[in-house]
Amino acid sequence: MGNFEPRIVAFLCNWCAYAGADLAGVSRLQYPPNIRTVRVMCSGRVDPLFVLEAFKDGCDGVLVAG
Amino acid sequence: MSSAEAQRFVEVVTTVTESVKSQGKFDPKALSSELAAAEMTLAGETLRWMVGKEVKITTDGDVYGRKWDTETFESVLDAVLEREYQKNLIYQAVKDGSTSVRDINEKIGLDLERISYLLADLEKTNKVEFTGMEDSKPVFAVL
Repeated sequence: MGNFEPRIVAFLCNWCAYAGADLAGVSRLQYPPNIRTVRVMCSGRVDPLFVLEAFKDGCDGVLVAG
Repeated sequence: MSSAEAQRFVEVVTTVTESVKSQGKFDPKALSSELAAAEMTLAGETLRWMVGKEVKITTDGDVYGRKWDTETFESVLDAVLEREYQKNLIYQAVKDGSTSVRDINEKIGLDLERISYLLADLEKTNKVEFTGMEDSKPVFAVL
């Protein structure tokens, strides 16, 4: 389990979390490379079915940030 | 978080990654019937009806004029969703060949009485049908 690198789907709101992620990049802050970002116009756009779909396609975790 | 909170974003991503790492790999094949049941529950009309009514019932009140507080409404919503999920798990179990109450119990671990009760409900809504007796056990099939 030591070298297990999970794949995490991250639904990020365009106006907050995505901009935060962008700023983290610009500020050269380090964070784990395990997330795969999906930008949404609002975290309210995320349907619970999207989360299930991600799990069905074999990701290990889902993060919704707004 | 706000767009200025880059540090907060880094913290959240780090915490989530550590948490997922400690929980280990997710195997969708091992949980395929649970995932299918959850998908049926979330895609079903019951959830949409209830979520659609939430604001009205908690602010203006229900058809009897009773105003519900959010906690009460949400605990009812949780109970409804749990029941729908259990029904859908039973449906998936019948579909996958567990056709008697005892077989379903062995597959999903819900108690026998609850399974019989929910099967009756599935019959009423034309999701499952009673197909006859086999070794003096009632046998069901999905519709």
